[in-house]
Amino acid sequence: MGKKKWTWAGAVFAALLLLPTVLGEFWVLVLTEILIMGLFAVSFNMIFGYMGQLSFGHAAYYGVGAYTTGLLMVKFGLPLGPSLLASMVMAGAVALVLGYFCIRLTGIYFAILTMAFGQLIFYIIFQWYSFTGGDNGLQGIKPPPMLEGAWSYYYFALLVVTAAVAVMWVISESPFGYTMRAIRDNIQRTRFVGLNTKKYMLINFVVAAMFAGLAGGLWGPFNRSISPDLCNWHQSGVPVFMTIIGGPAGFVGPLIGSVIYTFLMAFVTGFTEYWPLTIGIIITMVVLFLPGGVWGLVERYGAALPAREGPPDDPEGGTP
Amino acid sequence: MDLSLLFAQALSGLSRGMMLFLIASGLSLIFGVMNILNFAHATLWLVGAYACYTFWFLLQTHDFAVWLAIPLAALSVGLVGWVIEVVLIRRVYDRELPEQLLLTYALVLILGDLIKITWGVDDKLIARPAMLSEPVYIAGVPIDSYFIFVIAVGFAVYLALWWFLQKTRYGHIVRAAVFSREMVSALGIPIPIIYTGVFVLGIFIAGLAGAIQGPVGSVTLGMDMAVVIQAFCVVIIGGFGSLPGTMVSSIIVGEVYAFSILFWPGGALALIFILTAIVLIVRPWGLFGTPLRA
Repeated sequence: MGKKKWTWAGAVFAALLLLPTVLGEFWVLVLTEILIMGLFAVSFNMIFGYMGQLSFGHAAYYGVGAYTTGLLMVKFGLPLGPSLLASMVMAGAVALVLGYFCIRLTGIYFAILTMAFGQLIFYIIFQWYSFTGGDNGLQGIKPPPMLEGAWSYYYFALLVVTAAVAVMWVISESPFGYTMRAIRDNIQRTRFVGLNTKKYMLINFVVAAMFAGLAGGLWGPFNRSISPDLCNWHQSGVPVFMTIIGGPAGFVGPLIGSVIYTFLMAFVTGFTEYWPLTIGIIITMVVLFLPGGVWGLVERYGAALPAREGPPDDPEGGTP
Repeated sequence: MDLSLLFAQALSGLSRGMMLFLIASGLSLIFGVMNILNFAHATLWLVGAYACYTFWFLLQTHDFAVWLAIPLAALSVGLVGWVIEVVLIRRVYDRELPEQLLLTYALVLILGDLIKITWGVDDKLIARPAMLSEPVYIAGVPIDSYFIFVIAVGFAVYLALWWFLQKTRYGHIVRAAVFSREMVSALGIPIPIIYTGVFVLGIFIAGLAGAIQGPVGSVTLGMDMAVVIQAFCVVIIGGFGSLPGTMVSSIIVGEVYAFSILFWPGGALALIFILTAIVLIVRPWGLFGTPLRA
């Protein structure tokens, strides 16, 4: 990592530390949501941007994480910390089973299989009234007393999300991360080099799901309640939107997307109920006129900024 | 279990399957030819149902209100499909899959809100035509006559599509395009016109299906959300671009749904997703598809 990147990362972290001291409660809540959804989107991009496959069921792991933490805290009285760890393990375990099948397919078939499995998880949670509460959801997920305030939970989320994102960054820059890029760019050649591509793809799928599970786990105590909608296919669309808006080619793309998406949503829903229409038009505009997202734009015009992640001859970068 | 109940259930499953066929056939055709998975397909189906309501509402003093409202609604939705193709879809022909998928997903959101703005949040009821409002008795079992109508339209559309694809010059071109767009283009056939035609045809059938769905029950916001996923499942099970495959898998999905409600209420959709996942894992190109473009 170059010196400039450290400077940027440090500046952003300092801003995130200081911003809440001057913001009202509403915007602190929005910032917390940006962090949690940002983590969710970055975990999605491990599959999309780095492995080159579009998962349309990533919310399943987010939902499994949310329900693991929610159920452990509400029904078993476990503290937040161990519950979050359990969320990661649980989401990873589910992803290990489902991912085993998903990584055998690519392209549209990968997208639809992840979606079918995602909907399956959704219906299990939706129908299992006695355990999950069905479509009533699960209420009363209280964070520990010292994290009950908006500000304290924000700093807790900042700590967890920063650590998680840092781990994902290290993974993406490791030989493993470069193996993923190789699989994305040419899976056959990667196989010819002698790498077990299926094994690496499965590991990546599981790791991505674990971080999605962590994001889901953070959501419950933040929102105080969860519902099966957290793993419906609309929710799977959210990290896709964020990543496309921010740009899938850079590691920070999904984070930029989360800032734009969540901030806009908080702003727009303040005066109109037609948020889907608004985001629909924005997505259409980005797809038509801004391929590569905001990060793509930054890289094209900001030569002073860090080098791009994607291969130089591929303007879409992370797309398969 | 009573045999007559099973018979009634089988017919209700068949009618459900035919409705799915009407939606999935266009979806499958569009994907087969254009390689675009249209997320907004069921939303346009819903537009068809609402449009049927509006035309019926304007004509309701006449006996033939629904009979005229259905084709008018289908044509209107076809027109909407044409506008969408020319304004949006055409621009992303040569883009990557996720971008095309996202564009049609964005359409779901845009159209969903436009429906809300146009027709409001209240459920809409369309009175059934007199001849379809009484049950018919088949072997002494009362059967909803509207189910019979839906089944008849499903088979009629299947035959019409089969005739079009097998017997007409344009149908041959469309079938050839499913296998190799490059080859068709090399023969001097303008691919963009074929694309537009296929897209409009697919959306027209979806609009027709929506218009027919209108009088079944009430027309509600968000009805499209559950249907689009089931239509995807049908297309996957049958195989993208295969008309007989779509027909067979529509019937399978419709019947699985109808019968699992008897034996395992609540598990119907789960079963369908499991079925889809199995087909994807064992035979990603579907029961009747060819692995050529898999």
